Formats: sequence, C-alpha cells, structure tokens
Amino acid sequence: MKLKVCGMKYQDNIEQVAAIQPDYLGFIFYEKTPRHFNTKIPKLSSDIKKTGVFVNEDLNKVIQKINEFDLQAVQLHGEEAPFYCNMLRTTTLLKKPVEVIKVFSVMDGFNFKILDEYEAVCDYYLFDTKGKLPGGNGYTFDWSLLNDYPSTKLFFLSGGIGIDEVEDIRKFKESDASKYCYALDVNSKFELEPGLKNIGVLREFINKLSNNKKMQEYNVDERGYYGNFGGAFIPEMLYPNVEELRQNYLKIMGDPDFKKEFDQLLKDYVGRPSPLYFAKRLSENYNTKIYLKREDLNHTGAHKINNTIGQILMAKRLGKNRIIAETGAGQHGVATATVCALMGLECIVYMGEIDIARQAPNVARMKMLGAKVIPALSGSRTLKDATNEAIRDWINNPVNTHYIIGSAIGPHPYPDMVTRFQSVISEEIKWQLKEQEGRENPDYVAACIGGGSNAAGTYYHFLHEENVKIIAVEAAGLGVDSGESAATSVLGKEGIIHGCKTLLMQTDDGQITEPYSISAGLDYPGVGPMHAHLSKTGRAEFMSITDSDAMEAGLELSKLEGIIPAIETSHALAIFKHKTFKQEDIVVMSLSGRGDKDLQNYIDYFKI
Amino acid sequence: MNRIQTKLEEDKKLLSIYFTAGYPNLDDTTKIIHDLEKSGVDMIEIGLPFSDPLADGPTIQDSSTQALKNGMTTEVLFNQLKNIRKSVNIPLIIMGYFNPMLQYGVEDFCKKCQEIGIDGLIIPDLPVDVYHEEYKAIFDSYGLINVFLITPQTSDERIRFIDSVSDGFIYMVSSASTTGAKSGFGNEQTEYFKRIDNLNLKNPQIVGFGISNNRTFKAATTYAKGAIIGSAFVKHVTNEGIETIPNFVNSILK
Ligand SMILES: Cc1ncc(COP(=O)(O)O)c(C=O)c1O
Repeated sequence: MKLKVCGMKYQDNIEQVAAIQPDYLGFIFYEKTPRHFNTKIPKLSSDIKKTGVFVNEDLNKVIQKINEFDLQAVQLHGEEAPFYCNMLRTTTLLKKPVEVIKVFSVMDGFNFKILDEYEAVCDYYLFDTKGKLPGGNGYTFDWSLLNDYPSTKLFFLSGGIGIDEVEDIRKFKESDASKYCYALDVNSKFELEPGLKNIGVLREFINKLSNNKKMQEYNVDERGYYGNFGGAFIPEMLYPNVEELRQNYLKIMGDPDFKKEFDQLLKDYVGRPSPLYFAKRLSENYNTKIYLKREDLNHTGAHKINNTIGQILMAKRLGKNRIIAETGAGQHGVATATVCALMGLECIVYMGEIDIARQAPNVARMKMLGAKVIPALSGSRTLKDATNEAIRDWINNPVNTHYIIGSAIGPHPYPDMVTRFQSVISEEIKWQLKEQEGRENPDYVAACIGGGSNAAGTYYHFLHEENVKIIAVEAAGLGVDSGESAATSVLGKEGIIHGCKTLLMQTDDGQITEPYSISAGLDYPGVGPMHAHLSKTGRAEFMSITDSDAMEAGLELSKLEGIIPAIETSHALAIFKHKTFKQEDIVVMSLSGRGDKDLQNYIDYFKI
Repeated sequence: MNRIQTKLEEDKKLLSIYFTAGYPNLDDTTKIIHDLEKSGVDMIEIGLPFSDPLADGPTIQDSSTQALKNGMTTEVLFNQLKNIRKSVNIPLIIMGYFNPMLQYGVEDFCKKCQEIGIDGLIIPDLPVDVYHEEYKAIFDSYGLINVFLITPQTSDERIRFIDSVSDGFIYMVSSASTTGAKSGFGNEQTEYFKRIDNLNLKNPQIVGFGISNNRTFKAATTYAKGAIIGSAFVKHVTNEGIETIPNFVNSILK
C-alpha cells in the first residue's frame, strides 16, 4: 500500500518527511484549517507526488496553484461536482496533467450510490471520517463499511490513522474490504502540532506496517526480548517500579505533548540536530568517505543527554521526585545531574571509586550541578559496581525514585526505552546524509559499545536496511587474550547481569568477572541485549580495539580534524587502521563524546 | 511430602537461618548446618555466593565476596553437602542468584539438589512469571519447592498469583529494602503483616529482612508462620566466629 502524508506546512519538516519517502505529500490550500499551506515547497524527489488539497475552491485558483507549485495530484475535499473533476482532467490550462482524488466523508454509514457519477471523472477516491472540519479530525470510521464497496476504482483510506492503528490496518489488509485500497492517508495522528509531523513516529509506523520480518528480527518483542536476549530478571522488590515503567513508557513516549517537550529540549537545550560532519582529512587519510555524527557537540559533551532528557521527562510524568543514576566515565552522571538541575529534582549518582579517580573533572561537574556522588566501593569499583549500588538504592526507595539507566542495558523496558531516546541520532543521520549525499543510507554505520546506547541510537533506523552494514567496536583493553579486556562479544557467554539476559564476561561458575579498559565508559562486563542479538545473528560486525590503538586514534583525530574525542569514541575511530573500506564507501561514525574529561589521561599517556 | 511442607505443618513458629556458604572459611559449611540444627533452628538457607548480589546489603555482599575468594563454587558446595542427609533432618534450602544456576545448567542443578536432599530454592532474581513459564516443570520433576518473595509494594493480585504458583511458603520481605538495611518494625510493617494475613493465602508466610533478635522475631511471627534471619547471623559469625552458634540461636528463641 502507498502512503500519503497530508497537512505539511514547514520547510524543514517537509524535507524530513520527504526523506522517509512517502508516495504522496499533501499541502492544504484551504484557509480555515491550521494546516493551511502558505509557503514554498522545497525541491522534492520526483518519486513523491505533491498533492494540493482544496475545499470547494474556485477552479481557476486550483489551476493556478497546480501550475505554481507543480502539483501532481489534487484532492477535492468539498462538494465538488463531477463536471468540476472532469474539468481538471481535461483543461488545457494545466502545464502537466494531474491525478484527481475525490474525497467522501463517511460517518455511521455511507451510500455508495453517490460514487456512480464520479466513476469516469476522477482517478482515485478517498474515504475520510466525517467531522467538523474537512480532514484532520483524528478518529477513524468503521472500515468494515467498505465491505460493500461496489466499485473497482482504487481508493485512499483516511481519517484518524496513527501508530495505534497498525494492528487494525493489518487486519484490514487481510480482509476483502481492502481489495481496492491503494493508499493510506495520514495526518493529525503524527503531529506535534498542526502541520508539524513527528518523524520518529512516522518512521516507526512505516517500519511496523511494512511487516518486515527483518524489522521484527532486530527489534524488541512484546516480552522484552531481542531474540534470546533481554527480559527482566529482577528481584520482586523492583517489580512494581519496572512494571510501572513497562506499562507506561510507550504510551508516554507516544503522547504528542511529551514528544513536543522532548524535541524542544533537544533543540534548545541540547543543541540538536548535531552536525553530520564530513571529515575530509581523515577520509583522505584512509581513502574512504567518513562522516562523523557530532554527538560531542551536544550540551554536556556526549550522546548521554539525549537519554537523560527523555528519562527525566518520563520520571516527571510518573510522578517521581528523586533521581538516581550510575555512571562510568561520568558522562551519564553529568548528563543526569544536568537534567535534574534543569527540572529541580534531587539527584544521586553512584560511581565506582576507581572511576571517581580517573574522571575527576566530571565528578566536580556533577557536584557543581547539585548532585550527590556516592562512591561504589564493592567489586572492581567501576561501572558494574556503580550499577549494583544504584539498583540497591532503587530497591530501598521503591516509591518516589526513578532510576535513569545510562545505557541500553538493564531489565526490559530499559534497553528499548534508552534506544528509542537515542534513536534521534540515526533519525538525523538519515535526512542529513540525504541532504549531503543524496541518499539516506550510508554503506556503514559504526559506533563504540560500552553498554551500547550511542551504538543503539546510531543503528536504530538502519537495522532493517539490509545494505547498511553495522560495525560495533568494543574495548579490547590490553588485548582480548590478555585477561585485561572488556570485549564482551568475544569473551562473554550468555548469562544474566543487571536484570537482563545477555552476553557477559563470567567464570565457568557464573560469577561475573571484572573487565578492564582504559576507557571508563567501555569498562563493562556485559553488553546491551540488542547488541548481543546483533552479534549472535551476525547482523553487526564486532571489532575489538586495544587501549593503545584507541589512544593513537584519538590523537590522530585531534591532529587531522581539530577534534579531541572521548577515549570511548577513540576506540571506534581506531577501526580505520584495522579495516579497509572502499574509496566510494560512506562510513558514518558516531562521535559519541568529546575528550575534555579525558585530558588528564591523554596527558599521562602521551606525556604531553 | 517435601520436608518443607512437613515442617510447615508443625504447630509452632519457625525460625529459619541464612548463612553464606564458604564463609568465614571454605569448609565451615557442614559444621554451621549441624550446629544450627542442634541449636533448634527449623530450617536453613544455604547461601550460594554470587559476585553481584543485587538484593543484598553490605553484610551479605562482603561475606559472599570472601566466600568466593575462599574458593566457593557451585561444584564445591555440592561436594560439601554430598552426605549431609546422613545427619541432618531439617529442611535445607539453597538461596542464590540465577546466573550461577544458569551456567551450571538449571536441570543439572535441580537434579543435583534432589540427589543431595535439598528441599527448595530461593532465587531472588528469577521472577515468578519466568519461573512459571520456563522452569516450573523442571523444579517439580525433581521435587523442589521454589520460594518467592513478596514486599509491601506487591499488589494483592500478584500475591495471589504467587500464592497459586507456590507450594511451600511465601517469603514475606518485611520492608522495601536490601538485606540488612533496616532493623526492627514500625506500624507500617504491622499493617502489612495484617493485610497479608487477611488475604488467607494457601501458603503460609515466613518473614525475612529486618529480624535480628528475640523482639523482632516475636513481632514478625505474630501474624506469620515464621521468620528468617540472615544478616544478623552473618554478622554474628563475622564477629564471634562459628563456635558460638547455639548462643546466637538461644538469644533469638529464648
Ligand atoms: C563519550 C562516550 N561514548 C560512549 C560511551 C559508552 O556508552 P554507550 O555504549 O552506552 O554508548 C560512553 C559512556 O560513558 C561515553 O561517555
């Protein structure tokens, strides 16, 4: 089935929606709607039919608009008579012919007789829900009425279609009523405000609808699993909190008010969209095309804040007033402390004692932001142990506290929720690459993996694009076989850590082992369940990079591009030394964070 | 009938003690079990140590870390317990986190428990839903009772589900906390104990968390069938060694 997205209004938004490649884009030339279109249409791919929507408009005016905006279709939403439709099909005043779509509004019943006189004078029908205004009323009509559809003319189905209707649409598609259904027409259910479409939800709608097996293969299922990995292995003490979240997170994220607040903060506070930067000198050096997704330019210096903004809004919706978090490199701790300051909520960050020592600037930042930093003194005194302490805190404070997990780990729904908040990264990459290269899909997307949140966000909208290859970069520490490593996909076995079933480094006896990496953010013995699945299915290629290769790559980027990356990110950058790409390949890499916090480590390492 | 079920039918309030296997020394396991039984304890939870015990506070964490350092593993524990049923009659339960059991193989683990004469398991991070769907059949076939936790935040509906899946007792966590975090009970706990008592569940309840002396043992068993002491016992062993176990038990039951 084709897709028409109607009620477009804003230039940027039109371009973003066009990047999703709908078959029709609708512009409403009717002044009494808030979606009234009164600007210019940017240049669009010729595969997208620009459609003008009119309501009982003067014919000459319609013809003028068709010519002015180079419309390929008109949609007539009023009581336009058959001769009116016929005029549009036959007039010589048009530079090019247009498709004529005649709309009929359906309420409790519909007398199909009325179609008879339109059979010969239009190209398609469109059935919409009858409401106060022509279109955009936000609810569906009873599609089973179309069982009595007497014609063989193809039609558009419209009225109140949104992400919640995917199941109904699937059923409809299997029924006889859909035999002549040519396209779906969507509008108000995908809006942040009238005329402004929510790209993420639109994409999700399309993915879900495409019923693509691949899609289902890589996304979380209803039980919270990615293949064999995921789930929620939590003590009963955590059940009420995690269950509350599970039941509400999609609802809350799907709420237009939530999405609006989230997008607004990402834009005005975080500084999104983050640039997609063509790294010319780096590309020349490796004889391929490298784009860097500049998450380092976000407020607080890493991708982590995309997630904390989302989760703090989530916590507020759930009525929580106390926030806890774990942190490794301190980036997530800073990002959490930041949003807590922003919202005036109490913030407690758990951090391994070793990490407190190697990431001192971030500890100071958190304190300045008003957070309390509590050292985790058990185990290896790094990220794993900080996570244990945060979970214990949550057990002890089950009512007023929300736990902002900083990576795509933990019990379901955390991995999926964090992934969705981070998916803004790949959402932007798609339209940014389209702008710069004329295509949405690169040949490779690559990212470093600690728990896997920047990677999950970078991959998300490419998971189902078969010709986009995925590279995941883990920390090899002193070497995969050295006993001092954090390369989970190589060294890990299936097991349970922090509430989910995934790959983790452990002894034969099932005790979790202590990882090692120079980078605090990658120093984790597990990996998010999505990545465990990507590894097991071979969808992603996993590479492990040693401390020394990473440090060299960090220095190289600094010298070649004037960008000092976080040591986590340096691991991803080091793949170019180990893997040869073709000259024409486009590699998009997540530049997950900046190196300010690591300066002391760089100084010590290179004796600068 | 499983030993746990028989025990629960006795007309008395039950005292169950938790200890970490392999602590303070690797080979203390059987002596601790014998001494606890001789001192009049009704049931024992043998803690299989785990590197990352999420539901436990510092006392049990530290004892677990030490036990692992001492060389405790699943295999070592099973070996230590090999002949335990020649001399011990009270119910024995293994309490541990799910990952070590998963690595051992859930079925192999259950089989071994049956061979030794273990009566039940408490696995805090194996949720009742997962157990019910994936593992109950295995546990049942080896005659093992799995014990589930409830907390003051657990809804009545879920408690009824847990009750329906259980066939021993329900482990009633006295307050929302990790082990050893709080001691003593307030009004809130009394209300909660009453609420659960009024649900008239098919399984008796045994209260755990926050019990450390005779007073709290009495308070916990006013409404419930029994009480479990963990951290307080581990602390006793840490401070006094394992020679004075009867003193500890007497002080609870006096
Ligand atoms: C800059 C940066 N990149 C990557 C990571 C790794 O985390 P994740 O795998 O969740 O993206 C961190 C974690 O602290 C980080 O600070």
